[in-house]
Amino acid sequence: MSDIPERFAAYLQHKMPHVSEIVVSDVNRIYGGASRETYRLNATWKEGGEEKYRPLILRRDPVASLIETERDIEFNAYCAFHPTGLPVPEPLFLETDLVWLDRPFFVMEQILDSAAGSVFNADPYGDHAAKIGEQFWTQLGQIAKADVKAIGFDKNFDPVAPADCWRVELDKWEKVIDEDELCPQPVARAAIRWLRRNPPTPAERICVVHGDYRTGNFMFNGEGRITAILDWEMCHLGDPLEDVAWAADPLWAFQNPERPGGMIPREEALMLWEKASGLTADTKRLQWWEIFNSLKGLAIWISAAKEYETGASREPILAFSGWYCTDVHNRVLAEKLSILNAEARR
Amino acid sequence: MKPEVTTVMQGYVGTLFGSILPHLNSEYSMGDTGLMAMSFMMMAQEFDRAADIRLQENEDMRALFAHAAEEIDNEALTKRLREAASGADVSLRVHVLTKANEELKALLIVLHEYVEASKARWAPKLEMRIWSVICAGTERRKLDLPNFL
Repeated sequence: MSDIPERFAAYLQHKMPHVSEIVVSDVNRIYGGASRETYRLNATWKEGGEEKYRPLILRRDPVASLIETERDIEFNAYCAFHPTGLPVPEPLFLETDLVWLDRPFFVMEQILDSAAGSVFNADPYGDHAAKIGEQFWTQLGQIAKADVKAIGFDKNFDPVAPADCWRVELDKWEKVIDEDELCPQPVARAAIRWLRRNPPTPAERICVVHGDYRTGNFMFNGEGRITAILDWEMCHLGDPLEDVAWAADPLWAFQNPERPGGMIPREEALMLWEKASGLTADTKRLQWWEIFNSLKGLAIWISAAKEYETGASREPILAFSGWYCTDVHNRVLAEKLSILNAEARR
Repeated sequence: MKPEVTTVMQGYVGTLFGSILPHLNSEYSMGDTGLMAMSFMMMAQEFDRAADIRLQENEDMRALFAHAAEEIDNEALTKRLREAASGADVSLRVHVLTKANEELKALLIVLHEYVEASKARWAPKLEMRIWSVICAGTERRKLDLPNFL
């Protein structure tokens, strides 16, 4: 990290040849955003005789990570949604030339005077829980409502049919488990079989799916206003109920599953989402995506455990996820599937 | 060992949160330290129970396999189940118990898939018993974390 200020200043000079005296300072690596190295920094320069100052975020590909994703997918998601008024940081530069910082990276606006809620806090938003919850679920509905072609979101993705999106996602995450499991996973395997035996009805509409929309992945300010929806690295086209189920997953609810993410009651959350999206949170289809998402979580934690165990990365978050999050999702799935399978036998 | 290992780990959690973390000035180091402290909490729980969890789970699976071998109508699988059911844990070293546990779980997956697909009269009851073993295992492994405000 020690040479980032000089190297990043050289990059900014390359991108902004009309300015001079660029100085990069206060470089601080941020915790979270586990799929990329994320740095907060300040840049100053002279432009047209004036001193300019801009706080920025630098997201650089890591050597190994919790989630393997393409950085241009995330950058393009910011490009698609920033003009729509959804609170996302302004994307500035995407760079794949390794000459600048050894690995690909992108640069975006730094959101000031805001923080993310902790998934380890049963009441992460305090007095603002209701206000934040209303925005959280309404904005998820707005993401689902977005016209994927009009905002240019679809350009990086192959089209997917409403009847196929469940299979595409299940195939993707089953492959991750096949490749990364270090020990037999009876719960994950039972979940995969259940999901294939009980396919959901087709998506009501193919929508933008954020892929990791939850407590911890958005920022809010002191007035309880959501200022940035972050971490779009797993975004794709698919069934919008995938996001609804992930946002309501028990892992983010910590000690109160009836208030997803420690915000508002689940029923109220679903009503707000339906109102904003114009779609229906079909109970049966949502149930399928809930089982799927707990399995997807398991796949991510299984991969994290492998990264740590094999020495590809020794980031504590990988070991922690491999233990705690695997434990939660194994328990959640075992309880739900045992009931669903018993009902199916009756 | 005195003090007890769990006591020391819990003490380290207090030191990390109370004495070390507040004096760090790097956000990333603070995050790592917090997660390591929470991991120590989990290690303290796991140190005391790791062998017991594996031993009980292995015994549950062997008992399940012995029962299933009497019910199912697949000769090759029955043979595998009987062989696994006749095994026993001869060491309480965690890595030895873990190895046996993983071998048994691999067979559990095969049995579970077979039973799920069966329409035989014994299948529903056996499937419930499999889930009972799985759920008991996930409950035994539950890791408790306090609420971090």
